[in-house]
Amino acid sequence: MTPTRAIRPSLVNSALRIFDLSLGQMLWSRRSVFLALLAGGPVALALGIRVILLVTPAQLPMINGARMSGSAIFGLIIWLLYIRFIIPVLGVFYGTSLIADEVEDKTITYLFTRPIPRGAVLVGKYLAYLMCTTLLVLPSAVIVFFIVTPLGRSGIGEQFPSLLADLGMLAAGLAAYGALFAFVGATLKRPLVIGLVFVFAWEPGVLIFPGYLKHATIAYYLQALVPHAMPNEESVVSGILQLFNEIPPLATSLASLAGITLAALWLASRVVQAREFVLEQ
Amino acid sequence: MADIIAADHVSKWYGQVIGLNDVTLTVPPGITGLLGPNGAGKSTFMKLITGQLKVSKGSVTVLGEPIWGNPALYFRIGFCPEQDSFYDRMTGLEWVAALVRLNGVSETEAQSMAKRALDRVDLADAAGKKIGAYSKGMRQRVKMAQALAHDPDLLILDEPLAGMDPIARRKTIRLIKEWGRAGKNVLVSSHILHEIESMTSNILLVNQGRILAEGNIHQIRDLIDEHPHTVYVKADQTRALARAFLAEDDVLSMKFEEGAVVVQTARPDAFYARLTALAASGELGAIHEVTSPDDNLQAVFEYLVKS
Repeated sequence: MTPTRAIRPSLVNSALRIFDLSLGQMLWSRRSVFLALLAGGPVALALGIRVILLVTPAQLPMINGARMSGSAIFGLIIWLLYIRFIIPVLGVFYGTSLIADEVEDKTITYLFTRPIPRGAVLVGKYLAYLMCTTLLVLPSAVIVFFIVTPLGRSGIGEQFPSLLADLGMLAAGLAAYGALFAFVGATLKRPLVIGLVFVFAWEPGVLIFPGYLKHATIAYYLQALVPHAMPNEESVVSGILQLFNEIPPLATSLASLAGITLAALWLASRVVQAREFVLEQ
Repeated sequence: MADIIAADHVSKWYGQVIGLNDVTLTVPPGITGLLGPNGAGKSTFMKLITGQLKVSKGSVTVLGEPIWGNPALYFRIGFCPEQDSFYDRMTGLEWVAALVRLNGVSETEAQSMAKRALDRVDLADAAGKKIGAYSKGMRQRVKMAQALAHDPDLLILDEPLAGMDPIARRKTIRLIKEWGRAGKNVLVSSHILHEIESMTSNILLVNQGRILAEGNIHQIRDLIDEHPHTVYVKADQTRALARAFLAEDDVLSMKFEEGAVVVQTARPDAFYARLTALAASGELGAIHEVTSPDDNLQAVFEYLVKS
Protein backbone atom coordinates (compact mmCIF):
# COMPACT_ATOMS: atom_id res chain seq x y z
CA MET A 1 0.00 0.00 0.00
CA THR A 2 1.37 3.42 -0.96
CA PRO A 3 2.02 5.54 2.12
CA THR A 4 0.13 8.82 2.38
CA ARG A 5 1.93 11.09 -0.08
CA ALA A 6 0.83 14.52 1.01
CA ILE A 7 2.18 16.59 3.83
CA ARG A 8 -0.18 17.26 6.72
CA PRO A 9 -1.54 20.78 6.16
CA SER A 10 -0.80 23.42 8.77
CA LEU A 11 -3.44 24.65 11.19
CA VAL A 12 -3.03 28.28 10.12
CA ASN A 13 -3.34 27.67 6.37
CA SER A 14 -6.30 25.36 6.87
CA ALA A 15 -7.99 27.82 9.23
CA LEU A 16 -7.62 30.60 6.67
CA ARG A 17 -9.29 28.46 4.03
CA ILE A 18 -12.13 27.63 6.36
CA PHE A 19 -12.37 31.35 7.12
CA ASP A 20 -12.79 32.05 3.38
CA LEU A 21 -15.46 29.40 3.11
CA SER A 22 -17.35 30.47 6.23
CA LEU A 23 -17.34 34.25 6.04
CA GLY A 24 -19.86 34.51 3.21
CA GLN A 25 -22.07 31.87 4.84
CA MET A 26 -21.99 33.72 8.14
CA LEU A 27 -22.62 37.16 6.66
CA TRP A 28 -25.72 35.98 4.80
CA SER A 29 -27.12 33.80 7.54
CA ARG A 30 -30.32 34.45 9.50
CA ARG A 31 -28.16 35.14 12.51
CA SER A 32 -26.77 38.19 10.71
CA VAL A 33 -30.23 39.77 10.73
CA PHE A 34 -30.19 39.40 14.49
CA LEU A 35 -26.69 40.85 14.58
CA ALA A 36 -27.75 43.80 12.43
CA LEU A 37 -30.71 44.46 14.74
CA LEU A 38 -28.46 44.34 17.79
CA ALA A 39 -25.87 46.61 16.24
CA GLY A 40 -28.57 48.92 14.92
CA GLY A 41 -30.23 49.30 18.34
CA PRO A 42 -27.75 51.83 19.79
CA VAL A 43 -27.76 53.77 16.50
CA ALA A 44 -31.55 54.02 16.65
CA LEU A 45 -31.33 55.10 20.29
CA ALA A 46 -28.69 57.73 19.51
CA LEU A 47 -30.79 59.07 16.65
CA GLY A 48 -33.81 59.15 18.95
CA ILE A 49 -31.90 61.20 21.54
CA ARG A 50 -30.68 63.55 18.85
CA VAL A 51 -34.14 64.03 17.37
CA ILE A 52 -35.75 64.62 20.78
CA LEU A 53 -33.17 67.28 21.60
CA LEU A 54 -33.71 68.92 18.24
CA VAL A 55 -37.51 69.08 18.30
CA THR A 56 -38.08 69.79 21.99
CA PRO A 57 -36.60 72.44 24.22
CA ALA A 58 -35.45 69.72 26.64
CA GLN A 59 -31.82 69.85 27.68
CA LEU A 60 -29.30 67.19 28.64
CA PRO A 61 -29.69 66.02 32.25
CA MET A 62 -27.72 67.60 35.11
CA ILE A 63 -25.21 65.56 37.11
CA ASN A 64 -23.65 67.02 40.28
CA GLY A 65 -24.77 70.46 39.19
CA ALA A 66 -23.18 70.20 35.74
CA ARG A 67 -24.98 69.46 32.51
CA MET A 68 -24.23 65.99 31.04
CA SER A 69 -22.14 66.04 27.87
CA GLY A 70 -22.55 64.13 24.62
CA SER A 71 -19.42 62.14 25.37
CA ALA A 72 -20.90 61.10 28.71
CA ILE A 73 -24.01 59.84 26.91
CA PHE A 74 -21.77 57.96 24.51
CA GLY A 75 -19.93 56.46 27.48
CA LEU A 76 -23.24 55.43 29.00
CA ILE A 77 -24.29 53.71 25.76
CA ILE A 78 -20.94 51.92 25.58
CA TRP A 79 -21.30 50.72 29.17
CA LEU A 80 -24.91 49.76 29.21
CA LEU A 81 -25.59 48.56 25.70
CA TYR A 82 -22.34 47.40 24.22
CA ILE A 83 -20.40 45.99 27.16
CA ARG A 84 -23.24 44.66 29.25
CA PHE A 85 -25.45 43.41 26.44
CA ILE A 86 -24.41 43.43 22.78
CA ILE A 87 -20.87 42.05 23.04
CA PRO A 88 -21.67 39.16 25.41
CA VAL A 89 -24.87 38.26 23.55
CA LEU A 90 -23.06 38.16 20.22
CA GLY A 91 -20.33 36.05 21.79
CA VAL A 92 -22.91 33.60 23.10
CA PHE A 93 -25.02 33.32 19.96
CA TYR A 94 -22.18 33.11 17.47
CA GLY A 95 -19.57 31.36 19.59
CA THR A 96 -21.82 28.49 20.65
CA SER A 97 -22.98 27.94 17.07
CA LEU A 98 -19.62 27.78 15.31
CA ILE A 99 -19.58 23.99 15.18
CA ALA A 100 -23.20 23.36 16.24
CA ASP A 101 -24.59 24.96 13.07
CA GLU A 102 -22.47 22.75 10.85
CA VAL A 103 -23.53 19.69 12.84
CA GLU A 104 -27.20 20.68 12.76
CA ASP A 105 -27.05 21.41 9.02
CA LYS A 106 -25.10 18.16 8.53
CA THR A 107 -22.46 19.98 6.51
CA ILE A 108 -19.69 19.22 9.01
CA THR A 109 -19.01 15.97 7.14
CA TYR A 110 -17.63 17.87 4.15
CA LEU A 111 -15.16 19.73 6.36
CA PHE A 112 -14.12 16.79 8.51
CA THR A 113 -13.35 14.58 5.52
CA ARG A 114 -10.81 16.96 4.05
CA PRO A 115 -7.05 16.88 4.72
CA ILE A 116 -7.07 19.59 7.37
CA PRO A 117 -6.79 19.34 11.15
CA ARG A 118 -10.27 19.40 12.68
CA GLY A 119 -9.23 22.18 15.00
CA ALA A 120 -8.71 24.37 11.93
CA VAL A 121 -12.44 24.19 11.24
CA LEU A 122 -13.16 25.78 14.59
CA VAL A 123 -10.39 28.35 14.35
CA GLY A 124 -11.37 29.33 10.80
CA LYS A 125 -15.00 29.72 11.75
CA TYR A 126 -14.01 31.70 14.84
CA LEU A 127 -12.02 34.10 12.65
CA ALA A 128 -15.03 34.48 10.37
CA TYR A 129 -17.19 35.24 13.42
CA LEU A 130 -14.71 37.87 14.58
CA MET A 131 -14.59 39.52 11.18
CA CYS A 132 -18.36 39.40 10.75
CA THR A 133 -19.18 40.85 14.17
CA THR A 134 -16.47 43.52 14.25
CA LEU A 135 -17.50 44.67 10.78
CA LEU A 136 -20.98 45.38 12.12
CA VAL A 137 -20.44 46.33 15.75
CA LEU A 138 -17.51 48.72 15.34
CA PRO A 139 -19.17 50.84 12.63
CA SER A 140 -22.29 50.92 14.81
CA ALA A 141 -20.24 52.36 17.70
CA VAL A 142 -18.59 54.88 15.38
CA ILE A 143 -21.97 56.06 14.10
CA VAL A 144 -23.30 56.40 17.65
CA PHE A 145 -20.18 58.39 18.55
CA PHE A 146 -20.71 60.85 15.73
CA ILE A 147 -24.40 61.24 16.54
CA VAL A 148 -24.20 61.84 20.27
CA THR A 149 -20.74 63.28 20.97
CA PRO A 150 -21.45 66.74 19.48
CA LEU A 151 -24.33 67.14 21.96
CA GLY A 152 -23.74 69.48 24.88
CA ARG A 153 -20.20 70.67 25.31
CA SER A 154 -18.21 67.76 23.85
CA GLY A 155 -15.90 68.08 20.87
CA ILE A 156 -15.46 65.23 18.41
CA GLY A 157 -11.73 65.84 17.94
CA GLU A 158 -11.14 65.92 21.66
CA GLN A 159 -13.02 62.67 22.22
CA PHE A 160 -11.71 60.81 19.18
CA PRO A 161 -8.84 58.99 21.00
CA SER A 162 -11.34 57.56 23.46
CA LEU A 163 -13.40 56.28 20.53
CA LEU A 164 -10.36 54.34 19.29
CA ALA A 165 -9.93 52.85 22.77
CA ASP A 166 -13.63 51.92 22.76
CA LEU A 167 -13.28 50.18 19.42
CA GLY A 168 -10.26 48.22 20.66
CA MET A 169 -12.16 47.27 23.80
CA LEU A 170 -15.19 46.11 21.81
CA ALA A 171 -12.99 43.99 19.53
CA ALA A 172 -11.23 42.49 22.57
CA GLY A 173 -14.62 41.70 24.11
CA LEU A 174 -15.88 40.03 20.95
CA ALA A 175 -12.68 38.00 20.75
CA ALA A 176 -12.80 36.84 24.37
CA TYR A 177 -16.52 36.08 24.59
CA GLY A 178 -16.47 34.39 21.16
CA ALA A 179 -13.56 32.15 22.09
CA LEU A 180 -15.03 31.22 25.46
CA PHE A 181 -18.38 30.28 23.96
CA ALA A 182 -16.74 28.48 21.05
CA PHE A 183 -15.24 26.22 23.72
CA VAL A 184 -18.59 25.90 25.52
CA GLY A 185 -20.31 25.15 22.18
CA ALA A 186 -17.79 22.49 21.24
CA THR A 187 -17.92 20.84 24.65
CA LEU A 188 -21.41 21.00 26.09
CA LYS A 189 -24.81 19.85 24.93
CA ARG A 190 -26.87 22.95 25.78
CA PRO A 191 -24.34 25.66 25.16
CA LEU A 192 -26.80 28.47 24.48
CA VAL A 193 -28.56 28.14 27.83
CA ILE A 194 -25.24 27.89 29.63
CA GLY A 195 -23.93 30.91 27.75
CA LEU A 196 -26.94 33.04 28.59
CA VAL A 197 -26.75 32.03 32.24
CA PHE A 198 -23.06 32.96 32.28
CA VAL A 199 -23.66 36.35 30.71
CA PHE A 200 -26.86 37.41 32.45
CA ALA A 201 -26.62 35.66 35.80
CA TRP A 202 -23.08 34.62 36.64
CA GLU A 203 -21.17 37.71 35.46
CA PRO A 204 -23.46 40.39 36.94
CA GLY A 205 -23.89 38.25 40.05
CA VAL A 206 -20.26 37.69 40.96
CA LEU A 207 -19.19 41.21 39.98
CA ILE A 208 -21.36 42.59 42.79
CA PHE A 209 -19.57 40.70 45.51
CA PRO A 210 -16.05 41.32 46.74
CA GLY A 211 -13.59 38.48 46.40
CA TYR A 212 -11.96 36.45 43.71
CA LEU A 213 -14.98 35.04 41.90
CA LYS A 214 -15.09 38.06 39.60
CA HIS A 215 -11.80 36.86 38.13
CA ALA A 216 -13.85 34.07 36.55
CA THR A 217 -15.64 36.54 34.27
CA ILE A 218 -14.74 38.39 31.12
CA ALA A 219 -16.63 41.54 32.04
CA TYR A 220 -14.27 42.16 34.98
CA TYR A 221 -11.26 42.47 32.66
CA LEU A 222 -13.17 44.20 29.91
CA GLN A 223 -14.34 47.09 32.05
CA ALA A 224 -10.72 48.11 32.72
CA LEU A 225 -10.37 48.90 29.03
CA VAL A 226 -13.29 51.32 28.93
CA PRO A 227 -11.94 54.86 28.62
CA HIS A 228 -15.13 56.46 29.98
CA ALA A 229 -15.70 56.93 33.65
CA MET A 230 -18.52 54.78 34.92
CA PRO A 231 -21.66 56.94 35.15
CA ASN A 232 -21.87 58.31 38.69
CA GLU A 233 -25.09 60.28 38.93
CA GLU A 234 -27.38 59.23 41.71
CA SER A 235 -29.76 57.10 39.71
CA VAL A 236 -30.78 53.48 40.12
CA VAL A 237 -28.85 52.49 37.01
CA SER A 238 -25.67 54.15 38.07
CA GLY A 239 -26.13 52.78 41.56
CA ILE A 240 -26.11 49.29 40.09
CA LEU A 241 -23.17 50.12 37.87
CA GLN A 242 -21.16 51.41 40.79
CA LEU A 243 -21.29 47.95 42.24
CA PHE A 244 -19.12 46.81 39.36
CA ASN A 245 -16.68 49.64 39.82
CA GLU A 246 -13.74 47.57 40.98
CA ILE A 247 -11.48 47.31 37.98
CA PRO A 248 -8.11 45.59 37.54
CA PRO A 249 -5.02 47.34 36.11
CA LEU A 250 -5.00 47.79 32.33
CA ALA A 251 -2.03 45.50 31.72
CA THR A 252 -3.59 42.73 33.82
CA SER A 253 -6.83 43.07 31.89
CA LEU A 254 -5.18 42.96 28.49
CA ALA A 255 -3.06 39.97 29.44
CA SER A 256 -6.05 38.18 30.98
CA LEU A 257 -8.30 38.79 27.97
CA ALA A 258 -5.58 37.58 25.62
CA GLY A 259 -5.01 34.56 27.86
CA ILE A 260 -8.72 33.72 28.05
CA THR A 261 -9.08 34.05 24.26
CA LEU A 262 -6.07 31.92 23.40
CA ALA A 263 -6.70 29.30 26.08
CA ALA A 264 -10.39 28.96 25.18
CA LEU A 265 -9.58 28.66 21.48
CA TRP A 266 -6.89 26.08 22.10
CA LEU A 267 -9.18 24.04 24.35
CA ALA A 268 -12.05 24.31 21.86
CA SER A 269 -9.91 23.09 19.00
CA ARG A 270 -8.64 20.21 21.17
CA VAL A 271 -12.24 19.22 21.91
CA VAL A 272 -13.21 19.38 18.23
CA GLN A 273 -10.14 17.33 17.38
CA ALA A 274 -11.03 14.57 19.81
CA ARG A 275 -14.82 14.58 19.84
CA GLU A 276 -17.14 12.52 17.65
CA PHE A 277 -20.00 14.49 16.15
CA VAL A 278 -22.88 12.12 15.55
CA LEU A 279 -25.32 13.55 13.00
CA GLU A 280 -29.05 12.96 13.38
CA GLN A 281 -30.25 10.48 10.78
CA MET B 1 -2.56 -6.22 -3.88
CA ALA B 2 -3.23 -5.20 -0.30
CA ASP B 3 -6.72 -4.64 1.04
CA ILE B 4 -8.18 -1.19 0.69
CA ILE B 5 -10.08 -1.28 3.96
CA ALA B 6 -9.54 -3.64 6.87
CA ALA B 7 -11.76 -3.84 9.93
CA ASP B 8 -10.64 -6.06 12.77
CA HIS B 9 -13.28 -6.96 15.37
CA VAL B 10 -14.81 -3.53 15.08
CA SER B 11 -17.69 -2.55 17.32
CA LYS B 12 -19.36 0.80 17.63
CA TRP B 13 -21.82 1.77 20.32
CA TYR B 14 -23.89 4.90 20.60
CA GLY B 15 -24.47 4.85 24.34
CA GLN B 16 -26.52 1.70 24.86
CA VAL B 17 -27.28 1.24 21.17
CA ILE B 18 -25.07 -1.00 19.05
CA GLY B 19 -24.27 0.48 15.66
CA LEU B 20 -21.84 -2.19 14.56
CA ASN B 21 -21.09 -5.44 16.33
CA ASP B 22 -17.73 -7.23 16.14
CA VAL B 23 -17.21 -6.77 12.43
CA THR B 24 -14.13 -8.23 10.80
CA LEU B 25 -13.81 -7.72 7.08
CA THR B 26 -11.52 -6.67 4.29
CA VAL B 27 -12.42 -4.69 1.22
CA PRO B 28 -10.33 -5.68 -1.81
CA PRO B 29 -9.21 -3.27 -4.55
CA GLY B 30 -11.81 -2.39 -7.19
CA ILE B 31 -15.49 -1.72 -6.68
CA THR B 32 -17.24 -3.16 -3.65
CA GLY B 33 -20.88 -2.80 -2.76
CA LEU B 34 -22.07 -2.44 0.82
CA LEU B 35 -25.62 -3.67 0.88
CA GLY B 36 -28.11 -3.54 3.71
CA PRO B 37 -31.43 -2.02 4.73
CA ASN B 38 -31.62 1.34 6.47
CA GLY B 39 -30.46 1.03 10.06
CA ALA B 40 -28.38 -2.05 9.25
CA GLY B 41 -25.11 -0.37 10.17
CA LYS B 42 -24.00 0.78 6.71
CA SER B 43 -23.79 4.44 7.63
CA THR B 44 -21.98 3.65 10.88
CA PHE B 45 -19.46 1.63 8.91
CA MET B 46 -19.11 4.45 6.38
CA LYS B 47 -18.54 6.95 9.20
CA LEU B 48 -15.92 4.74 10.80
CA ILE B 49 -13.97 4.26 7.60
CA THR B 50 -14.13 7.97 6.81
CA GLY B 51 -12.84 8.88 10.26
CA GLN B 52 -15.97 10.71 11.36
CA LEU B 53 -16.47 8.28 14.21
CA LYS B 54 -13.99 6.46 16.37
CA VAL B 55 -14.33 2.72 16.91
CA SER B 56 -15.48 1.67 20.37
CA LYS B 57 -13.53 -1.57 20.03
CA GLY B 58 -11.22 -3.07 17.41
CA SER B 59 -9.34 -1.28 14.66
CA VAL B 60 -9.93 0.12 11.20
CA THR B 61 -7.33 0.86 8.57
CA VAL B 62 -7.97 2.55 5.24
CA LEU B 63 -5.35 2.37 2.49
CA GLY B 64 -3.09 0.77 5.08
CA GLU B 65 -3.31 3.53 7.68
CA PRO B 66 -5.56 4.22 10.65
CA ILE B 67 -8.12 6.81 9.64
CA TRP B 68 -9.17 8.37 12.95
CA GLY B 69 -7.13 11.51 13.63
CA ASN B 70 -5.19 11.15 10.37
CA PRO B 71 -6.37 14.05 8.18
CA ALA B 72 -3.55 13.64 5.64
CA LEU B 73 -5.24 10.41 4.53
CA TYR B 74 -8.11 12.47 3.09
CA PHE B 75 -5.83 13.48 0.23
CA ARG B 76 -6.40 9.93 -1.00
CA ILE B 77 -10.06 9.54 -0.09
CA GLY B 78 -13.16 11.09 -1.58
CA PHE B 79 -16.38 10.80 0.38
CA CYS B 80 -19.91 11.37 -0.85
CA PRO B 81 -22.17 11.33 2.23
CA GLU B 82 -25.77 10.25 2.30
CA GLN B 83 -27.27 13.41 3.76
CA ASP B 84 -28.79 15.98 1.43
CA SER B 85 -27.05 18.95 3.04
CA PHE B 86 -25.21 21.81 1.41
CA TYR B 87 -24.35 25.48 1.64
CA ASP B 88 -27.41 26.25 -0.45
CA ARG B 89 -26.48 29.84 -1.21
CA MET B 90 -23.32 28.80 -3.04
CA THR B 91 -23.25 27.74 -6.65
CA GLY B 92 -22.13 24.20 -7.47
CA LEU B 93 -18.82 25.52 -8.75
CA GLU B 94 -18.19 27.74 -5.72
CA TRP B 95 -19.00 24.90 -3.34
CA VAL B 96 -16.86 22.24 -5.00
CA ALA B 97 -13.97 24.70 -5.48
CA ALA B 98 -14.16 25.82 -1.85
CA LEU B 99 -13.98 22.22 -0.64
CA VAL B 100 -11.15 21.33 -3.02
CA ARG B 101 -9.22 24.35 -1.72
CA LEU B 102 -9.16 22.60 1.64
CA ASN B 103 -6.86 20.06 -0.06
CA GLY B 104 -4.24 22.78 -0.17
CA VAL B 105 -4.53 23.73 -3.83
CA SER B 106 -4.54 27.32 -5.11
CA GLU B 107 -7.75 29.14 -6.00
CA THR B 108 -7.07 28.82 -9.73
CA GLU B 109 -6.26 25.14 -9.47
CA ALA B 110 -9.33 24.55 -7.29
CA GLN B 111 -11.55 26.23 -9.86
CA SER B 112 -10.23 24.10 -12.68
CA MET B 113 -10.44 20.88 -10.62
CA ALA B 114 -14.01 21.75 -9.63
CA LYS B 115 -14.98 22.45 -13.24
CA ARG B 116 -13.52 19.13 -14.36
CA ALA B 117 -15.37 17.27 -11.61
CA LEU B 118 -18.67 18.98 -12.39
CA ASP B 119 -18.18 18.12 -16.02
CA ARG B 120 -17.63 14.46 -15.11
CA VAL B 121 -20.97 14.34 -13.34
CA ASP B 122 -22.72 16.25 -16.13
CA LEU B 123 -23.25 19.40 -14.14
CA ALA B 124 -21.06 21.72 -16.20
CA ASP B 125 -24.11 23.62 -17.46
CA ALA B 126 -25.49 24.11 -13.96
CA ALA B 127 -22.13 24.95 -12.36
CA GLY B 128 -23.06 28.62 -11.95
CA LYS B 129 -26.49 27.89 -10.49
CA LYS B 130 -27.12 28.04 -6.74
CA ILE B 131 -27.24 24.58 -5.13
CA GLY B 132 -30.52 25.56 -3.45
CA ALA B 133 -32.09 25.57 -6.92
CA TYR B 134 -30.77 22.12 -7.88
CA SER B 135 -33.04 19.10 -8.24
CA LYS B 136 -32.49 16.08 -5.99
CA GLY B 137 -30.54 14.30 -8.71
CA MET B 138 -28.33 17.33 -9.33
CA ARG B 139 -27.65 17.60 -5.62
CA GLN B 140 -26.56 13.98 -5.56
CA ARG B 141 -24.25 14.63 -8.49
CA VAL B 142 -22.68 17.75 -7.00
CA LYS B 143 -21.91 15.69 -3.90
CA MET B 144 -20.19 13.16 -6.16
CA ALA B 145 -18.25 15.98 -7.81
CA GLN B 146 -16.80 17.22 -4.50
CA ALA B 147 -15.80 13.64 -3.67
CA LEU B 148 -13.92 12.97 -6.89
CA ALA B 149 -12.57 16.45 -7.67
CA HIS B 150 -9.17 15.80 -6.10
CA ASP B 151 -8.75 12.47 -7.92
CA PRO B 152 -8.63 10.25 -4.83
CA ASP B 153 -7.43 6.64 -4.77
CA LEU B 154 -10.53 5.57 -2.88
CA LEU B 155 -14.03 6.84 -3.42
CA ILE B 156 -16.53 6.13 -0.66
CA LEU B 157 -20.11 6.69 -1.76
CA ASP B 158 -23.01 6.47 0.68
CA GLU B 159 -26.26 5.83 -1.21
CA PRO B 160 -25.08 7.86 -4.23
CA LEU B 161 -28.01 6.99 -6.48
CA ALA B 162 -30.79 7.88 -4.05
CA GLY B 163 -33.30 10.19 -5.66
CA MET B 164 -31.63 10.37 -9.06
CA ASP B 165 -33.70 10.21 -12.22
CA PRO B 166 -33.08 7.16 -14.45
CA ILE B 167 -30.75 8.92 -16.86
CA ALA B 168 -28.58 10.41 -14.12
CA ARG B 169 -28.62 7.03 -12.40
CA ARG B 170 -27.35 5.31 -15.53
CA LYS B 171 -24.65 7.92 -16.03
CA THR B 172 -23.54 7.71 -12.42
CA ILE B 173 -23.32 3.93 -12.56
CA ARG B 174 -21.26 4.27 -15.72
CA LEU B 175 -19.00 6.80 -14.00
CA ILE B 176 -18.43 4.53 -11.04
CA LYS B 177 -17.62 1.62 -13.31
CA GLU B 178 -15.20 3.77 -15.31
CA TRP B 179 -13.57 4.74 -12.06
CA GLY B 180 -13.10 1.10 -11.18
CA ARG B 181 -11.75 0.29 -14.62
CA ALA B 182 -9.23 3.13 -14.24
CA GLY B 183 -7.73 1.24 -11.32
CA LYS B 184 -9.38 3.32 -8.60
CA ASN B 185 -11.17 1.82 -5.65
CA VAL B 186 -14.79 2.43 -4.82
CA LEU B 187 -16.90 1.41 -1.86
CA VAL B 188 -20.53 2.13 -2.58
CA SER B 189 -23.43 1.57 -0.23
CA SER B 190 -27.03 1.02 -1.13
CA HIS B 191 -30.14 -0.68 0.12
CA ILE B 192 -31.01 -1.73 -3.42
CA LEU B 193 -29.39 -4.87 -4.72
CA HIS B 194 -30.13 -3.98 -8.30
CA GLU B 195 -28.07 -0.80 -8.01
CA ILE B 196 -25.09 -2.55 -6.51
CA GLU B 197 -25.34 -5.38 -8.99
CA SER B 198 -25.14 -2.95 -11.88
CA MET B 199 -21.77 -1.72 -10.59
CA THR B 200 -20.02 -4.75 -9.12
CA SER B 201 -20.40 -8.37 -8.22
CA ASN B 202 -18.35 -7.98 -5.08
CA ILE B 203 -20.57 -7.23 -2.11
CA LEU B 204 -20.69 -7.00 1.65
CA LEU B 205 -24.08 -7.79 3.14
CA VAL B 206 -24.74 -6.00 6.39
CA ASN B 207 -27.74 -6.27 8.69
CA GLN B 208 -28.36 -5.42 12.33
CA GLY B 209 -24.79 -4.25 12.82
CA ARG B 210 -23.24 -7.48 11.54
CA ILE B 211 -21.71 -8.58 8.26
CA LEU B 212 -23.93 -11.38 6.99
CA ALA B 213 -21.98 -12.26 3.88
CA GLU B 214 -19.00 -11.16 1.85
CA GLY B 215 -18.22 -12.05 -1.73
CA ASN B 216 -20.06 -12.69 -4.95
CA ILE B 217 -23.49 -11.27 -5.45
CA HIS B 218 -24.85 -14.09 -7.59
CA GLN B 219 -25.31 -16.44 -4.66
CA ILE B 220 -27.98 -14.29 -3.11
CA ARG B 221 -29.35 -13.02 -6.36
CA ASP B 222 -31.78 -15.92 -6.77
CA LEU B 223 -33.19 -15.34 -3.31
CA ILE B 224 -33.76 -11.69 -4.09
CA ASP B 225 -35.75 -12.49 -7.19
CA GLU B 226 -38.29 -14.39 -5.15
CA HIS B 227 -39.32 -11.16 -3.46
CA PRO B 228 -41.30 -8.41 -5.16
CA HIS B 229 -39.37 -5.18 -5.56
CA THR B 230 -41.07 -1.83 -4.94
CA VAL B 231 -40.14 1.22 -7.00
CA TYR B 232 -41.37 4.76 -6.42
CA VAL B 233 -41.38 6.80 -9.63
CA LYS B 234 -41.99 10.56 -9.47
CA ALA B 235 -42.97 11.85 -12.89
CA ASP B 236 -45.04 14.40 -14.79
CA GLN B 237 -47.38 11.89 -16.43
CA THR B 238 -47.93 9.17 -13.87
CA ARG B 239 -51.08 7.76 -15.52
CA ALA B 240 -49.42 7.37 -18.92
CA LEU B 241 -46.47 5.71 -17.20
CA ALA B 242 -48.79 3.40 -15.32
CA ARG B 243 -50.43 2.33 -18.57
CA ALA B 244 -47.00 1.54 -20.03
CA PHE B 245 -46.02 -0.44 -16.93
CA LEU B 246 -49.25 -2.45 -16.96
CA ALA B 247 -48.51 -3.69 -20.44
CA GLU B 248 -45.62 -5.72 -18.99
CA ASP B 249 -46.16 -9.00 -17.17
CA ASP B 250 -43.47 -8.41 -14.50
CA VAL B 251 -45.49 -5.62 -12.88
CA LEU B 252 -47.39 -7.16 -9.97
CA SER B 253 -49.23 -4.13 -8.59
CA MET B 254 -49.37 -0.37 -8.73
CA LYS B 255 -50.68 2.53 -6.73
CA PHE B 256 -50.69 6.28 -7.17
CA GLU B 257 -49.29 8.81 -4.74
CA GLU B 258 -49.07 12.56 -5.16
CA GLY B 259 -47.14 13.10 -8.40
CA ALA B 260 -45.82 9.56 -8.31
CA VAL B 261 -46.63 5.97 -9.11
CA VAL B 262 -45.48 3.13 -6.86
CA VAL B 263 -44.88 -0.14 -8.68
CA GLN B 264 -44.22 -3.65 -7.45
CA THR B 265 -42.25 -5.70 -9.92
CA ALA B 266 -41.08 -9.29 -9.95
CA ARG B 267 -38.15 -8.53 -12.25
CA PRO B 268 -36.41 -5.33 -11.22
CA ASP B 269 -33.70 -5.60 -13.89
CA ALA B 270 -36.19 -5.59 -16.72
CA PHE B 271 -38.27 -2.90 -15.06
CA TYR B 272 -35.33 -0.52 -14.52
CA ALA B 273 -34.09 -1.07 -18.07
CA ARG B 274 -37.53 -0.19 -19.44
CA LEU B 275 -37.83 2.81 -17.15
CA THR B 276 -34.46 4.17 -18.27
CA ALA B 277 -35.45 3.75 -21.91
CA LEU B 278 -38.72 5.56 -21.25
CA ALA B 279 -36.94 8.41 -19.50
CA ALA B 280 -34.40 8.69 -22.31
CA SER B 281 -37.08 8.82 -25.01
CA GLY B 282 -39.10 11.38 -23.09
CA GLU B 283 -42.27 10.18 -24.82
CA LEU B 284 -44.17 9.88 -21.53
CA GLY B 285 -42.92 13.14 -20.05
CA ALA B 286 -40.17 13.78 -17.57
CA ILE B 287 -39.29 11.23 -14.87
CA HIS B 288 -37.88 13.18 -11.94
CA GLU B 289 -37.01 10.71 -9.28
CA VAL B 290 -36.77 6.96 -8.80
CA THR B 291 -36.41 5.53 -5.34
CA SER B 292 -36.90 2.15 -3.78
CA PRO B 293 -37.97 1.71 -0.19
CA ASP B 294 -35.76 -0.61 1.78
CA ASP B 295 -38.50 -3.09 2.61
CA ASN B 296 -37.46 -5.08 -0.48
CA LEU B 297 -34.12 -5.84 1.00
CA GLN B 298 -35.43 -6.16 4.52
CA ALA B 299 -37.63 -9.04 3.31
CA VAL B 300 -34.64 -10.74 1.78
CA PHE B 301 -32.60 -10.32 4.94
CA GLU B 302 -35.36 -11.74 7.06
CA TYR B 303 -35.50 -14.66 4.65
CA LEU B 304 -31.71 -15.12 4.80
CA VAL B 305 -31.59 -14.95 8.57
CA LYS B 306 -34.42 -17.44 8.95
CA SER B 307 -32.88 -19.86 6.47
